[in-house]
Amino acid sequence: MKENAASRVLFILLLFLYASLLNGQSPPEKPKLIKCRSPGKETFTCWWEPGADGGLPTNYTLTYHKEGETLIHECPDYKTGGPNSCYFSKKYTSIWKMYVITVSAINQMGISSSDPLYVDVTYIVEPEPPMNLTLELKHPEDRKPYLWIKWSPPTLTDVKSGWFSIQYEIRLKPEKATDWETHFAPKLTQLKIFNLYPGQKYLVQIRCKPDHGYWSEWSPESSIQIPNDFPVKDTSMWIFVGVLSAVICLIMVWAVALKGYSMVTCILPPVPGPKIKGFDIHLLEKGKSEELLRALESQDFLPTSDCEDLLMEFIEVDDSEDQHLMPHPSKEHMEQGVKPMHLDPDTDSGRGSCDSPSLLSEKCDEPQAYPSKFHIPEGPEKLENPETNLTCLQAPQSTNGEGKIPYFLANGPKSSTWPFPQPPSLYSPRYSYHNIADVCELALGMAGTTATLLDQTDQHAFTPSKTIETGGEGKAAKQRESEAYSSEPDQDMAWPLLQDKTPLFSAKPLEYVEIHKVSQDGVLALFPKQNEKVDAPETSKEYSKVSRVTDSNILVLIPDLQAQNLTLLEESAKKAPPALP
Amino acid sequence: MSNLLLCQGNFCTFLCPHGDDLCLNSLKDLFNRATNLSQDIYNLSSKMFKEFDKRYAQGKGYITMALNSCHTSSLPTPEDKEQAQQTHHEVLMSLILGLLRSWNDPLYHLVTEVRGMKGVPDAILSRAIEIEEENKRLLEGMEMIFGQVIPGAKETEPYPVWSGLPSLQTKDEEARHSAFYNLLHCLRRDSSKIDTYLKLLNCRIIYNNNC
Repeated sequence: MKENAASRVLFILLLFLYASLLNGQSPPEKPKLIKCRSPGKETFTCWWEPGADGGLPTNYTLTYHKEGETLIHECPDYKTGGPNSCYFSKKYTSIWKMYVITVSAINQMGISSSDPLYVDVTYIVEPEPPMNLTLELKHPEDRKPYLWIKWSPPTLTDVKSGWFSIQYEIRLKPEKATDWETHFAPKLTQLKIFNLYPGQKYLVQIRCKPDHGYWSEWSPESSIQIPNDFPVKDTSMWIFVGVLSAVICLIMVWAVALKGYSMVTCILPPVPGPKIKGFDIHLLEKGKSEELLRALESQDFLPTSDCEDLLMEFIEVDDSEDQHLMPHPSKEHMEQGVKPMHLDPDTDSGRGSCDSPSLLSEKCDEPQAYPSKFHIPEGPEKLENPETNLTCLQAPQSTNGEGKIPYFLANGPKSSTWPFPQPPSLYSPRYSYHNIADVCELALGMAGTTATLLDQTDQHAFTPSKTIETGGEGKAAKQRESEAYSSEPDQDMAWPLLQDKTPLFSAKPLEYVEIHKVSQDGVLALFPKQNEKVDAPETSKEYSKVSRVTDSNILVLIPDLQAQNLTLLEESAKKAPPALP
Repeated sequence: MSNLLLCQGNFCTFLCPHGDDLCLNSLKDLFNRATNLSQDIYNLSSKMFKEFDKRYAQGKGYITMALNSCHTSSLPTPEDKEQAQQTHHEVLMSLILGLLRSWNDPLYHLVTEVRGMKGVPDAILSRAIEIEEENKRLLEGMEMIFGQVIPGAKETEPYPVWSGLPSLQTKDEEARHSAFYNLLHCLRRDSSKIDTYLKLLNCRIIYNNNC
């Protein structure tokens, strides 16, 4: 019998088990704590998510213990927060203390506990949206109209005592627009909005954030209709327009002041000084007089014989007036240079039509801002010369042919000076000046030209990168056809021109000019060959003839048959006549 | 505001007894600056903690070890609004000063040790350096406020000493990271305390509980 009873009980138990398995009942699945939030740093609520209940009615319990305590408590309030929640009132809430919270699901079949959640109320603060959002249109007299937005702090936040600090954010937009305009309000509970479009309906929302915590939700939309006659513009707009115009005027005045000089020079261009194309001032400095003069000679720069004759006669060095020789980067100096021409009307030294003073003073084709660079290679090395502006200045000469030293003046872009030096007369002024004029023309080629000076005997390698640019105002250039020379480099032209060795002054006896010195400012002081009393070099000198100046402002030199002594230029250049500035 | 009357229960004191505006304005200014500093320190320490957590502490469960690990837990700080409002302002200020002083040393070592960590993000290091600097400035400001509000009071209260340097320097990387986690967790909490207490005092003293 006993055996029967025991087996019967066992059978019934198994039956129950079997029945429950057939029904799909099981212990509940592990629940999961979702989040905890505190609206005002005084209370907080936690929510969980239940798992599968295993087919049986399941109860959930929330248990917790605080940091530093061992006692385990159960949730004080399951109702206030809604289903699957636990509400901790003020009594149960501590700040700056960790809560270790666990939710357990219990059913007939078993218990499942969630993973613990570690919560510190300080960091889970999320307030409610602000309340009592009111919108009011204000239009005070004599001031801009605006929309006045007011609100109150959300519930459950104690701002007055300082326990809770809040910042606010407001956004508004016209009803049909897509983008919100956001404004930030750090502490005050009101905001003024200007510049609203009349006739539109605006929607306004607000939210807030504690100093440590999360942003609240946006409040419900409030709307306000801006009347059509709502004045938007006022005098401030006109003030803005006025200020803007004044600023623009100031900028224009300033621009005119800065650029005024160049503007005026466009209208009244200055008289350019003489130039010699392809003339390397630094060759003079280094004393390579032979190379230099070879360069001068080999250029063919007498486009017309008429002008040549006239030019010879016209070019004078006039020492009757005390003129300063330095390049003066100003218009006045240019005018001064021009003046002597006019002041010396009686010295009619046969100035021809090509070279009348009026011609000189009126012609201003050459733009002033020509940087000029001369590179005459010396030896196989590359010359790296700083830019110098070269202006060929030729002074009018008195009728007695008293020689003057024409100066190769290296100028800034705006200068053009007419020198009136005090040197001794040239031996044969006619031809000297011819040379000088040619030299000038050569030296003061067009700006921006690239040319290579070729020294055939030395067979220097000229790279296209060397530039020979002349600038300044070349009077000789004007007189010649130097204006016609393009300012674009044409390096390839240099080579073929070498072949042209027609002597420069084939029909006339030639006189060579010795370069006396090159001053700091690039003034080349030339002496006639016979004037050897001043710093004459000891050694014999050789000169190069310039056969011609090419279209691309290249000096084509005639290689001298005699030995060429390049030191001439060097020595001449080193010495400086005191009269020269 | 011609005079400041500070009442705690039935006990009232005059702040700025001579009633000069310079004293009042300077106190207001001091509190303003102090609350700005404390808010900034909290923001920095919060970001620093989150950065460290994201980078070194994911899935490690360091939080379990961080319970009860703050060296300042011996200070009797109020733990909810009612307690804080019942605490006398002098006591609150002493607590703030104690907290600030007790963090001088750990912050200094935090900067040194964080610098030595391999691959530490610049976000952590730069914030640590800034917090250390601002902590010193806030301490100076608090001492000035204390001197103005409670003239003649002694300020030489003992403060908790930190002794966690060996755990920051241990060779075991896990243990070291855990120690850093603790320190940053405690720093975040204490900076929040300082910030809240200061704002409470500000509203109480300057604005008479009407912020």
